[in-house]
Amino acid sequence: MARKNTLVLIIILALFAFAVCSIIYPLFGREEMRLGLDLIGGVHLVYQADFPEGASGEEKAAAMARALITIEKRIDKYGVTEPIIQQVGEDRILVQLPGFTDIDAAKSLVEQTGFLEFREVELNESGQPVYLGDYFQQDELQFIDEQETGDRVFVIDVVNAEGEGEHKTVAFLVKDNGDIKFTDATGNPADNTALQEYADALSWITARGDDGTPLTGDLLADASPSLDQSGVAPIPQVSIEWDSEGSVIFDQIAARLFPQPDNENFFDPERALGIFLDNTLLSAPEVNAQKFEGRGVITGNFTRDEVTELANLLKSGALPMPLKKPPLYQEKVSATLGADFIDMSLKAGIIGLILVMLFMIIYYRLPGVLASLALVFYGALVMAIFKLIPVTLTLAGIGGFVLSIGMAVDANVLIFERMKEEFTTGRTLGAAIEAGFNRAWTAIRDSNVTTFIVCGILYWLGSSIVASAPVMGFAVTLFIGVAVSMFTAIVVTRTLLRLFVGTPLARKTSLFSAHQERE
Amino acid sequence: MFDITGKRSLFLIISEVVILISIIALVVFGLTPGIEFSSGSMLTVSFEREVDQSELEQELVNLGYTNVIIQGIGESDFLIRTPELSGEDKVALEDALSARFGSLTEREFHSVSPMVAAETAHNAIIAVAIAAVGILLYITWAFRRMPRPFHYGVCAIIALVHDVVVVLGIFSILGAILNWEINLMFITGVLAVIGYSINNTVVVFDRIRENLKRGISADFEAVVNNSLVGTLSRSLNTSLTTVFVVLALLLFVGASIQNFAIVLLIGIITGTYSSLCVAPILLIVWERGEWGRLIQWLPLPRAKAKGV
Repeated sequence: MARKNTLVLIIILALFAFAVCSIIYPLFGREEMRLGLDLIGGVHLVYQADFPEGASGEEKAAAMARALITIEKRIDKYGVTEPIIQQVGEDRILVQLPGFTDIDAAKSLVEQTGFLEFREVELNESGQPVYLGDYFQQDELQFIDEQETGDRVFVIDVVNAEGEGEHKTVAFLVKDNGDIKFTDATGNPADNTALQEYADALSWITARGDDGTPLTGDLLADASPSLDQSGVAPIPQVSIEWDSEGSVIFDQIAARLFPQPDNENFFDPERALGIFLDNTLLSAPEVNAQKFEGRGVITGNFTRDEVTELANLLKSGALPMPLKKPPLYQEKVSATLGADFIDMSLKAGIIGLILVMLFMIIYYRLPGVLASLALVFYGALVMAIFKLIPVTLTLAGIGGFVLSIGMAVDANVLIFERMKEEFTTGRTLGAAIEAGFNRAWTAIRDSNVTTFIVCGILYWLGSSIVASAPVMGFAVTLFIGVAVSMFTAIVVTRTLLRLFVGTPLARKTSLFSAHQERE
Repeated sequence: MFDITGKRSLFLIISEVVILISIIALVVFGLTPGIEFSSGSMLTVSFEREVDQSELEQELVNLGYTNVIIQGIGESDFLIRTPELSGEDKVALEDALSARFGSLTEREFHSVSPMVAAETAHNAIIAVAIAAVGILLYITWAFRRMPRPFHYGVCAIIALVHDVVVVLGIFSILGAILNWEINLMFITGVLAVIGYSINNTVVVFDRIRENLKRGISADFEAVVNNSLVGTLSRSLNTSLTTVFVVLALLLFVGASIQNFAIVLLIGIITGTYSSLCVAPILLIVWERGEWGRLIQWLPLPRAKAKGV
């Protein structure tokens, strides 16, 4: 018996040493505790994909898969460690960026569709540029260039609040189920009378190669930020490189636009190639060569940061579908707040642990000391499990852990109380210990099952909702905590007590109970 | 030996009064759902210099935010709850506030759309319902070898509902005074309380089961009383250690986990009380067919005098 207990003690000590080592040192490739966003700071976004009506399940699934890859590529460039980009349900995307706390930048990074396309100005029969006003003069609304049946984008040049010139998209003309109508950016019908004031807006149509393929960002091979050194001050721009198909189409379009009339001192709409990103005109350079051999630049009113961002956006490609704005769920926690939380909850955990140990020692004396030792073992084992699984620790999760410290002694308390009772009814100390453990077992088992049921339900609740982290974190840590507490009470405390029965200390019965002393 | 079961009218009156107060508080004050359940945005800003809360409130009204709730955290930090803000709205709001009160840092931002809020509320209600049913089934199963397993299950559930009502009632009072809201952590806390309360009740019932098996007395009331006394120090000790850690959480972690810790604190106290003074006592009431007396024990002046 004594030998068996010594053996169990050695195993327990080895397990304790292993737990402590795995907390302190990186084992099995786990460098650190995995901390949730609320503890390290970061951004958590959940988006709803905006599919066109009637999209099939297969189309949606394919588009979602492409969207995840595209968003991943965009985020990769920002050096976020362990970002999480996941599909949630059928048509939702979850983006978690630990340590990245600029929520507005994160949103624009994810939300931008990044659809790059090239457009040219619509020409009427006599080769003159078409303006929005021309469409208002028609008796019945129809496309002026009948060959081109794609959307028209109407763009006007305005001066913004900062006094800078800006291209503003004012309306779209689309053919929908055979009807031609004006719409706004979201596809809703536009107010035709309000559009009257934009009569000077140019009509832009899709630039296509000879076979009708539109020139879009899909045909890009590369995009990188660069500087236009031709002027006095270098101007940030994006250099682009077309793939083989794109080069051919681009040259075909250039060959069509270049021979158009050229007035050297003025902007010639007929010669302009409009570069549009998500329906916004970035710039409209005039084509001044017939062949580009697959290279070009995108200029515009950009800062250096903006060209880096744009190049990244173009390289990662367009989202296959837009995302609904604002996101379904957004959360941002600053890093300093997260650091405070860790400090505070660490303090709470340690103070809670000390209070529980003091109480146990004062109330139960020697068994209390042993239970406290078991509690230290408990704490180390639970933390090691958290780190090795790994469990993502959130504030609520730490709350669950701290709570489980208080509850962990429950099994010990049940056993000690039972022991005391058995002891007072006249059993020997050793027999009282064994009877106490055996008798308390059904209560420990049955009472903890209810906690497990609640943990299971909380886990389900957490997994079924968008703001899942706190609820799931609590469920997981409480579950692990209670499960380990059963183990420590039954194996560790029991072994320690059994070993103490054989020592001279055990004869001092006052060590075992503060209240009921026996002769 | 303490006579707990003999004082059952006193314990039940205490429970009835507390529950009555809780229900009245719930009806009068109600519970304010947080943005997780009702949608909206929550912005925590930290100003560089001290800002007066009433001035901040006034400024928000001037900006057109009439339906906002402001909660001060420390001297210059504020939690501002608004209807759902778009990206531009938020930037405009922060710009306006920093123009008025000096530079600020955005510490935390949460925003929940109506769709997600509705889902969350829906699932939270389902979770609470499943928890109640699951526990009823489990208790009935755990006590299947007792003479009346269903009694044990129902009494445990009554004790549980008792605890939940008291937690909600006290919380509605706190909500009315301190602007506290019902958030996900609150629901998590309530579910944890449910688990805790049942846990305690099971320990007491387990002892009753054991004592009945050992046949220590032919009188059911004596068996229950004996079991209660036997588990009394365990129940109190475990509750005390749990209260210690919850108090540590409350004092050291504070605001962000406040709802949760307060729910646990109230829940542990009422859960301990109900597992000792409600669930086992109702078993006796049921066994003896004393249900009619529950009404007489209601705190009406005449009946009260008789009951005590």
